Amino acid sequence: MKELDTIAFFSRIKISEREKKKYLEDLSEMFDYIEILQEPDVASLEPTTHVTKLRNVWREDIVKSCPKEIVDMMLNSSPEREKTFYKVKKIISD
Amino acid sequence: MDEILKIKANDLRSKICSGEVKSLNIVKACVTRIKKTDSKIRSFLKLNENKLLEQEATCSDKKIESGKKCGSLEGIPIGIKDNIMMKGESMTSASKYLENYISPYDATVIEKLKKAGAIFIGRTNMDEFAMGGSTETSAYQKTTNPWSLEHIPGGSSGGSAAAVSMGMVPFALGSDTGGSVRQPASFCGIVGYKPSYGLISRYGVCALASSFDQVGTLSKNVKDSALLASIVMGKDYKDPVCEPREQIDCISYIDDNLEVLKSVKVGIPRQLFNYKMDTEISENFNKAVDKFKFLSVKIVEVDIPSYKYIPALYKIIMCAEVSANIATFDGIRYGYRALNAENLDDEYAKSRAESLGYEVKKRILFGTYVLGAKNYYRCYHQAQKVRTLLINQISDAYKKCDFIFSPATLQMPVKFGETLSEECDVFLIAANLAGLPGITVPYNFTNSSMPVGMHFMGSRFSDVKLFQIANAFEKISDFDLNKYPEL
Repeated sequence: MKELDTIAFFSRIKISEREKKKYLEDLSEMFDYIEILQEPDVASLEPTTHVTKLRNVWREDIVKSCPKEIVDMMLNSSPEREKTFYKVKKIISD
Repeated sequence: MDEILKIKANDLRSKICSGEVKSLNIVKACVTRIKKTDSKIRSFLKLNENKLLEQEATCSDKKIESGKKCGSLEGIPIGIKDNIMMKGESMTSASKYLENYISPYDATVIEKLKKAGAIFIGRTNMDEFAMGGSTETSAYQKTTNPWSLEHIPGGSSGGSAAAVSMGMVPFALGSDTGGSVRQPASFCGIVGYKPSYGLISRYGVCALASSFDQVGTLSKNVKDSALLASIVMGKDYKDPVCEPREQIDCISYIDDNLEVLKSVKVGIPRQLFNYKMDTEISENFNKAVDKFKFLSVKIVEVDIPSYKYIPALYKIIMCAEVSANIATFDGIRYGYRALNAENLDDEYAKSRAESLGYEVKKRILFGTYVLGAKNYYRCYHQAQKVRTLLINQISDAYKKCDFIFSPATLQMPVKFGETLSEECDVFLIAANLAGLPGITVPYNFTNSSMPVGMHFMGSRFSDVKLFQIANAFEKISDFDLNKYPEL
């Protein structure tokens, strides 16, 4: 239960006491999967993160202007805006 | 049902270009079909405005009449899964989190479809953020299976699959992370194609698990998927995993001669017989194999012991990638923000708790666990190594055969509220884990008139060959492509 609280904190998800029971049940099923994967001997194998070779895509570090229409579209999708800024809670304490 | 809706996309293309069929008539027929049937199927989350659709269709018709150069999909209607961005349109990914989100740009696939002259009918329903195999986790509505309204359409691209199956649109786009295009396609009796990883750009597509995600196609027949794939594939510097490959006109490589069947070796994994399978699926699979034998197709048995790890492997890696991707949903720049939060941390936690569904949250929690410093090597790192083992074994299998053939799913669609087994989609998920192309093709109907599909998985970048064999298989299947569900 304490571990679930820790995971929830790192996941930035608030879960109620009532929900906890269901999550614990469902997550314990998932934990069986971890055990299953301990079975094969893969010590000599490299892990696969991607099947394709990831490449860096470079561009010149030049700021391009964005049409006002698109800036507005993006700002309007935000929960709170002020002029051309996103409005967020204070992040530095007094 | 209007006969015009039974014309497949490839034929529509030539008929529209020759002026034999008007785009306006097709679009009107699609809209009428949707209005008549979608109150029961609920495949669309949003329909584009009728007036606008008719204007676009008229514009295509005029272009053709005046002899102007027209696009490869000029005037052909299409459905788009609601996790693909279209500039100025809403994109919810079937989540409350993105309820008010408006896409500021076009996904690359949309840009290509716009250039090709396709007409966007609307946005199709899906599992929330594509997490699910039944479309039941959508925060908005439940899509039904057109062949039986009590059954799930599959998922996560269930809206796209049901809409195509019902004849509301000739084809649609979906996304496939662990069978999410091919499984609903099979459940709804249509073709579902997932390309080799890196063949189609995912720029502007809402991410689920980035090392598996691919955009895929859903259509009534193989050629229509090949047509649609040919338009949307090709290099894109905006997606770092998109391969620097040119677009291929897949259709030009497909002919209806069954000779192609004689030149290929079809592999059947020995492990297939270890699974519990619905009787009618195994009966039809055996029939298909017998038909192959009758047509002198070479069949070989291949051994991929790691298939048994697929459900575990997929869950661990997918959830890990989900937890990382969904971390961007913090309620700051876009999306849902909870009111009355005490501080910033509390705002993140409340926003996500209030706007994300149970399945999404469960996957984030599990993903966070397997990526935790204490568990990383034992869980995530180990899973990535087992993924290598599986890929190596599949590569070995392709030394003996050209395609791996299996039933699409091990189970028939279940009723709402019931759950599919964890192993149901293993043959589809193998393609995602190894980055391979896969296609499901309807093969027959069961005694209760539900469709049964089969799956071909090819080696990496054998997509054109995959279309060839799938097209030949479609020709020998017992499925009636001109049969549409009646409500």
